[in-house]
Amino acid sequence: MQAHSNLLNWILWMPMIGAIVTLLIPSKMEKGIRWWSLVNTFITFILTLVLYSKFDTTVPGMQEAFNIKIPWISQFHINYTLGIDGISLPMIILTGLLFFLCIMSSWTITKQIKAYFALFLFLQCSVFGVFLSLDFFLFYVFWEVMLIPMFFLIGIWGGENKEYAAVKFFLYTFFGSILMLIGMVALYYASGQGAESFDILALSGGNFRELTITLFGTEFAFNKLLFIFLFIGFAIKVPVFPFHTWLPHAHVQAPTAISVILAGVLLKMGTYGFLRIAYPIFPEASKYFSYSIAVLGIINVIYGAFCAMAQNDVKKLVAYSSVSHMGFVMLGLAAMTVQGMNGAVLQMFNHGTSTAMMFLLIGILYERSHHRWIVRPDGTKGFGGLYTQLPKFSIIFIIAMFASMGLPGLSGFISEALIFLGIYERFTTITALGLIGLLIGAAYLLWMYKRMFFGEVIEECKSYTDVNAREIAYMTPLCIAVIVFGIYPSPILNMMRASVGKLVSLLATF
Amino acid sequence: MPFNYLENLAHYIPELIICFTMIGCILYESAYENDDDDRGILYLIAILGLGVAGIFAYQKILQENTFILGNALVIDSLSSVSKILMILGTAGAIYLSKISKDIYQDLKGEFVIMSSGVLVGGCLLASANNMLILYLGIETLSILSYVMASFKKTDDRSSEAGLKYVLYGGVSAAVMLFGMSHIYGVLGTINFQEMAIALSGIAKSYPNDQLTVLIPAFILFIAGIGYKISSVPFHMWTPDVYEGSPMPVTAFFSIVPKIAGITILLRVSTLFFAESNILSMTWFGILSSMAIATITVGNIAAIGQRSVKRMLAYSSISHAGMMMLGVVVLNTVGMRSILFYAVTYIFMTLVAFYILSIINDEYNNDHFERFSGLIYKKPLMAILMAVTMFSLAGIPPLSGFVAKFHILNAVVKDGYYTLAVIAGLNSVISLYYYLKIVRLMVFKPYEGSESILGFGVINQTLVTILFVPVVLLGVFWAGTMSKLGLASILLK
Repeated sequence: MQAHSNLLNWILWMPMIGAIVTLLIPSKMEKGIRWWSLVNTFITFILTLVLYSKFDTTVPGMQEAFNIKIPWISQFHINYTLGIDGISLPMIILTGLLFFLCIMSSWTITKQIKAYFALFLFLQCSVFGVFLSLDFFLFYVFWEVMLIPMFFLIGIWGGENKEYAAVKFFLYTFFGSILMLIGMVALYYASGQGAESFDILALSGGNFRELTITLFGTEFAFNKLLFIFLFIGFAIKVPVFPFHTWLPHAHVQAPTAISVILAGVLLKMGTYGFLRIAYPIFPEASKYFSYSIAVLGIINVIYGAFCAMAQNDVKKLVAYSSVSHMGFVMLGLAAMTVQGMNGAVLQMFNHGTSTAMMFLLIGILYERSHHRWIVRPDGTKGFGGLYTQLPKFSIIFIIAMFASMGLPGLSGFISEALIFLGIYERFTTITALGLIGLLIGAAYLLWMYKRMFFGEVIEECKSYTDVNAREIAYMTPLCIAVIVFGIYPSPILNMMRASVGKLVSLLATF
Repeated sequence: MPFNYLENLAHYIPELIICFTMIGCILYESAYENDDDDRGILYLIAILGLGVAGIFAYQKILQENTFILGNALVIDSLSSVSKILMILGTAGAIYLSKISKDIYQDLKGEFVIMSSGVLVGGCLLASANNMLILYLGIETLSILSYVMASFKKTDDRSSEAGLKYVLYGGVSAAVMLFGMSHIYGVLGTINFQEMAIALSGIAKSYPNDQLTVLIPAFILFIAGIGYKISSVPFHMWTPDVYEGSPMPVTAFFSIVPKIAGITILLRVSTLFFAESNILSMTWFGILSSMAIATITVGNIAAIGQRSVKRMLAYSSISHAGMMMLGVVVLNTVGMRSILFYAVTYIFMTLVAFYILSIINDEYNNDHFERFSGLIYKKPLMAILMAVTMFSLAGIPPLSGFVAKFHILNAVVKDGYYTLAVIAGLNSVISLYYYLKIVRLMVFKPYEGSESILGFGVINQTLVTILFVPVVLLGVFWAGTMSKLGLASILLK
């Protein structure tokens, strides 16, 4: 391995190259655009696997071999810094995989194909940017840029109420990031006279304990206030209660592939932000607020589960189940123990695969039924007896559902178990409440399954066709992932162990 | 520095060229008989003149301060940068007036002449080094602006705009003059440098009688400047005037007077209130509350507008507020941030107004709905407009973001977190109304099948050229920024 590998650059910019080439293909060549996007995302995915193969799991923190650092604006000490560690690698692989599969699921898009695929690849580039950048300024740029393709993807290809959803998503996230921006600038000046920097690694380590900050005439401790700023920025993305209200709209209105990306990758950017920025930079404040984070997490779990139970729209149900499952990640983060944190990162990955399956399946179903009602507003059943009509589809659905429910043997179980192990040491009551959340989770999923797949076959379901080869092709990798990582999670756990351990030991010193 | 008269003039070349351009245009226009011609030569004279003036102003950017004409004027980096910006804005507006149908054919020549006249006023204001020149500058800037506002003679709203502008302008100029007379009464001089020395002497002893006169006098003084940059609470005229005026005039108003006003505000603040004392504390207290009020009021009022022009008018109020926020932090960082903000603001405003003006000509109104489905008709223009809107709202990696980032940077550096938070949250509000245009352009189907004639190849190219800095300055801003930084250091 040479000292300087450009692999991260390739991973980051490959989708961008793809987007530009897509724009150059004449819009009449629809097939060409689709295949090119598929090939492009496949190459990117392969590159992420190459990255995995070269990754040294024993090194905690950033892997020197992959680091890239180029001065961007030297006046402000802003650098183009990319790096990778055990926390970001699972996210990178997940991103590579999901975008590749989503291109396949987007095959049925017929409206303005060129713009769709170009924006989609552009989105992938910005998501990679968030996971790879080690400079806060660069991170922020990618974090914001991502909103633009999302806005258009929801707004143009979404459902009937797409505009409202797109605008709400955009404004909500932008609100959070503005606070983050102010926090970022404040950090820059707090980081030392003459040696100011946006370098996340240089800022890390909890150096800002003595400073104070005056806001609206009141004095606050610097690290606590700024932690809250960053917290709001990231929490909106996760989304943590009470900042979750944009999510159901965005999910329900977005086209299938975008829902998948939103739930599978974008929500993880919020929790990734905690792991990469908020925790390492303000370990003391994180510790101070850990109980509050745990409480918010448990509200997410239980509130999200109850909301999901009340939904008649199956996509909304899954959207709320995401709120609930991201609550588990928050619980793991609040635990600040080795198991808890490992569980949280693992849950980020596992939720990414299982919820992606759910959304993809709902997308498949929607293409046949053109509605998503479990129970229609007029009280009649929207679906019934799908099991007898679509056996293959139902089997895949069962796998996805049990994975996201946390059934032993499937991926969700391991991560949730780790999270509960971790948090039990610190917050016993919350652990107990969390288990109740798990129970409600099982309840709404099974209830949904019963209503949709069992019982009498309703008339319109008889015309539905079972999954075709293309659909099986993109569901299979995810099925394999949830089953394999349910039985044998070590590849991912090994990947992150050293890095998470480093973070936990940093937190433990406060 | 005692210069003889001609040596003085040698430093005053940009303004002189603009004056000669204006005279040349007047002569050409009066010798002209056919009103329906497109006046190619007139525009050529104007653009060439402005271009040469700009080149001469550019040479002065990084030179030592020079005081000319008996210390009445100062040629320094700040004034030169702001002159270049104003020249750019004027040139943009002049070309816009050529293509716009909003200006009557027989008045097109007048637009060129008067905008050059206003520009001379703006340059005068930017290099003012005593109170008298400051006042003269403001008046030169204003009087021609009143005429420009009522360019559409037969249109009620335009006449209303002109009248409103005159009344507000007259009153605020009088108020300012009243304040200035008191300042002169206390300090006994109108030269800025001498005033600064006298002020620092007076402010040392507190309380004293002179201060009790000076503080209200400066508040009256700020009314005049605040009116030019349409800062709250002196902004009431802005929406009506902007809406009533023809499109190129509005574009012109939202650039040149604003930049001139910000420049003089910056100069006055730097010279008089550099030391921390009771006087400067009052001054910056007032400025910061004005800035915050300007940003907030401008943004909130912009939300409910139906006319895009009016929305842009309100948004320009809030942008002026952002620039004022940079004045509050009186240091090199603040100064270069304002200058950078002004640079990006010009390009964004011009792109927005060019596209708006062409659409306005097509439909004869500028309601938001006119933008519906633009992406299907003119994809390139719609994309440029959308990106400009994102830039105005401050989404990275566009220049509007970098500008906002620098203002926030300057504010946070000095510990004004409250200001930073309020200003930051305001850009969320602004995003809402900017998104309104994007939403209509991209998500809505278009009405009517006819194409928009104004978007010819030349105009599209021009808009694209103006658009390039909007993106470029968002990614590669180091060079511009360090140049502006040098300019701000030289100011001190």
